[in-house]
Amino acid sequence: MTYIAKKGLDNMTNLSMQVTRSPRKVPVAAVVILGLVFTVGLFVVGFDQGHILSVVFGEQAFEEMYIHELTHDLRHTAGFPCH
Amino acid sequence: MNTILFISIVLIAGAMAGTIHGLTNLALVEPYLDNAIMIENQALFASGQAEDTPEFWAEYKSYRSWQKEGQVLASAILGTSMGALFGIVYVLSRDALPKGGDLKKASVLAAIMWFSVYLVPFFKYPANPPTAGDGETVVLRAALYLLFIGITGFGVVVFYQVYRRLTKNKRFVAFAGYAALVAVAFVLMPPNPDENTIQTELLNGFRIMSAIGVTIFWTTLAIILGVLWQRLRPDSETNLEHH
Repeated sequence: MTYIAKKGLDNMTNLSMQVTRSPRKVPVAAVVILGLVFTVGLFVVGFDQGHILSVVFGEQAFEEMYIHELTHDLRHTAGFPCH
Repeated sequence: MNTILFISIVLIAGAMAGTIHGLTNLALVEPYLDNAIMIENQALFASGQAEDTPEFWAEYKSYRSWQKEGQVLASAILGTSMGALFGIVYVLSRDALPKGGDLKKASVLAAIMWFSVYLVPFFKYPANPPTAGDGETVVLRAALYLLFIGITGFGVVVFYQVYRRLTKNKRFVAFAGYAALVAVAFVLMPPNPDENTIQTELLNGFRIMSAIGVTIFWTTLAIILGVLWQRLRPDSETNLEHH
C-alpha cells in the first residue's frame, strides 16, 4: 500500500458521521405551502362546481362543470357529496 | 429541518398513496358506479330525456372511460392534498407520538386521522353512489359534511390537549369527552336530506368497497411517508467531522 493510500485510509477510519437533530423548529413556509396545497386540492377534487374555470369561461363553466365531471367518480368513492 | 426535503417527502408520499388509491378504486368501486349510472340511464330512457341507441352507448362508453381516468388523476390530487395535511400534522405532533421509528409514528397518526376525519364522519354521512343524491341539495350536504369533519377532527386536537394535562389515572376523561362530543354532534347535526331509493345490495356493496379503498389510502400514506422520513431524515443535519 502506498503512503498516500494508507494516509487516506487512516483519514477514512477517523472520519465519523455525526447525525445531529436540529432544534424542533417547524418551518412556517413549509406549513403555509402545504396548507395551500391541502386547501386548493381539496376544493378542486371535492367541492368545485365550475368555480375555478369560471375565471376563464364565465357562466359557461357552471353549466359544463368540467372539473366536477372529471373528478365525479372519486367524489363518490371518497365520500364527498355529489348528485 | 430541511424545508425542501420535508415538503418533497410529504407531497411524494401523498401523490403515491393517492395514485394507489385511484388504481384500487378502478377494481373495487368502479363496477358499483357503473351499475348505479346504468340505473340513471334507464331513468333517462324512461323519461324520454335520452334514446337507447348505439350512438348513445358509444358516447357513454367513451365518456365513462374519460371519467375513470379522471378518477385516478383526482385520486392523485386528493392524495397530495391529504398528504399535505398529514405532513403538517405529523411535523407538529411527531414528538408527541409514541416512541419508535417514523413508520410507527406515521402509522399511529394515520390511524387517528383515518378514524377522526374519515370513519366517524362516514357513519353520519356515508358515501353514496350516483343516483342517490339530489343535485339541488349538494351545497347543503357539502357544508354539513365539512362541518362534521371539522368537529370530529378538531375535537381530537382539543381533547389531546385535555389528555396531556391530566394525570395518568384520569386520562380516560379525555376519551370520554371526545366520545361525548361526537355523540352530541351525531344527534344535533341534521341527517342527509336526500331520500335514498337505491337498492340496498348495491348501496352496501358500494359503501364497503369505498371504505376499503380509503383505508388502503391511509395505510399506504403512513407506510410511504414513514419509510421516506426514516431514510431521508428531513429533521436531521448530517455532519462529517474529523476526530
